[in-house]
Amino acid sequence: MMLSLLRAFKFSLQDISRNIWLSIITVTILILAMFSINTLILTKVISTSAVEAIKEKVDLSLYLKTDSNENDIFALQLKVNALEKVKEVQYISKQEALDSFRKKNENNPEILQALLELGKNPLSPSLVISPQNPNMVPELIEELRALDSNIIESRDFNDNRIILEKIDNITKRIDEVGFFVIAIFIITSLLVIYNSIKVAIYTHKKEIEIMRLVGASNSFIYAPFLMSSFIYTFIAVIIIILVSFPLLGILQPYLEVFFVGYNINVVSYFFDNFFLIFGLQFLIISLINVIASYIAVRRYSRV
Amino acid sequence: MIKLINVNKAYKNKVKILQDVNLKINAGEFVSIVGQSGSGKTTLVKILIGEELVSSGQVFVGDWDISKIGKAEVPFLRRQIGVIFQDFKLLPKKTLRENVAFALEVCGQKQSKIDKVVSNVMKIVGLQNKMNSYPNEVSGGEQQRAVIARSLVHQPKILLADEPTGNLDAINANDVIDLLLKINDFGTTVILVTHNREIVNRLNRRVISIDAGKIISDQKNGKYII
Ligand SMILES: Nc1ncnc2c1ncn2[C@@H]1O[C@H](COP(=O)(O)OP(=O)(O)OP(=O)(O)O)[C@@H](O)[C@H]1O
Ligand SMILES: [Mg+2]
Repeated sequence: MMLSLLRAFKFSLQDISRNIWLSIITVTILILAMFSINTLILTKVISTSAVEAIKEKVDLSLYLKTDSNENDIFALQLKVNALEKVKEVQYISKQEALDSFRKKNENNPEILQALLELGKNPLSPSLVISPQNPNMVPELIEELRALDSNIIESRDFNDNRIILEKIDNITKRIDEVGFFVIAIFIITSLLVIYNSIKVAIYTHKKEIEIMRLVGASNSFIYAPFLMSSFIYTFIAVIIIILVSFPLLGILQPYLEVFFVGYNINVVSYFFDNFFLIFGLQFLIISLINVIASYIAVRRYSRV
Repeated sequence: MIKLINVNKAYKNKVKILQDVNLKINAGEFVSIVGQSGSGKTTLVKILIGEELVSSGQVFVGDWDISKIGKAEVPFLRRQIGVIFQDFKLLPKKTLRENVAFALEVCGQKQSKIDKVVSNVMKIVGLQNKMNSYPNEVSGGEQQRAVIARSLVHQPKILLADEPTGNLDAINANDVIDLLLKINDFGTTVILVTHNREIVNRLNRRVISIDAGKIISDQKNGKYII
């Protein structure tokens, strides 16, 4: 058994090196297929992170009149907090608002100067509301709009719903296109492998004929060809791994700039899901190749 | 050893190639099969090695009914029957020794066993001095002897030779026939398909004549009659 495998391996290596150009083309197509699949995975990761980031950014604030009584404010806070769709209500007093404003403009002496010249705290106290569930924000906004209280000066609902919808649409589009891209590449790699095995069989026609004549078992005739397609896949996966991480490394700083303050790391995503991403691709493409080679051998060597 | 009962064979085009062939060949016999071109001799050989299935009837090799043999079983039949064709079917990029060893390698034999068997069969066919030559460096007769050596590696009980001398001159042809006789002396059943009148007459063994897919004569110490 071990011996047969070794012989099949030898046979298949000979075959790959004797038809080196065909082998290179085969591996290249497989690499392109996997590259496009990984690009799709990447866009998916980025768009999902974008959605998460924007959802987190939902910002609902009620600005209160500067002279509001703290008791009224607490009452309002309790009332809002009692709303079903509200997770948390944070009260930001005038003083806190001022502190954070100062902190934000630390490096902006002109603004700080202007604030000083004003002589008093111009900022309003506010209630910052975190929604229970980002998907219910629109309804929550409606409820907050309807909220009747005379201490409310203004309402600022920074709703990112439209952006979210846009991203959602893009993601859906990617999913649809991705399905076709993957289907096309699966079919292409099937045909390419089928063709390479066919050529390999042609160059080994006489060998196969003699193998059959002297009673080589069918599995022995199949083995080298299946082995070849397996080796093609293996080489392609190794190359795609070697290429992916440097490329992701190059991309990462740009993403960080784009998603400031949000935690997005594609390198570690691909690293953490290494076996899921590359292992699964290897398994699926191997399976496709084995099927393609099996059909080719069956057809062209009458096994 | 070999028994055909009411064998009929037609290829896909439905033209009957073999008709009602009944035949019994005993272990250790040396049988010549003669007949005009297209009479169905090679078809008979292909049936015996499981490459073609009969349309009806039964074929026994030993106790094994191969008339409905499955693809997975064919390799095991092939290991019991040595086959030699007119075109030598040697691999040009392998030496004679490697060509013979190939037959054992692809059947999963151990290297030590291969070495032993190969030098044995090469001795039988008298090629021990040409083991490392490539097919194009030796004569046609020597190439055919290498093929015979290869057909012997599984120590077959039956040797099928389909016009093994077709591409050889008289001297080389006689060498090959002498070799087949020697193998027959070891106890192997030899079936020789040939067109060669002198050879058949010189052999003076059993001769089966086929015409248009039918056995028209079967003589114990036969002559070439067609
Ligand atoms: N695969 C095939 N499909 C259809 N017809 C075939 C096939 N193989 C052989 N034949 C036909 O069967 C007939 C017998 O062929 P076969 O090769 O058995 O003859 P043969 O006796 O060996 O002839 P020869 O002496 O020329 O080798 C021929 O008419 C041939 O055309
Ligand atoms: Mg013939």
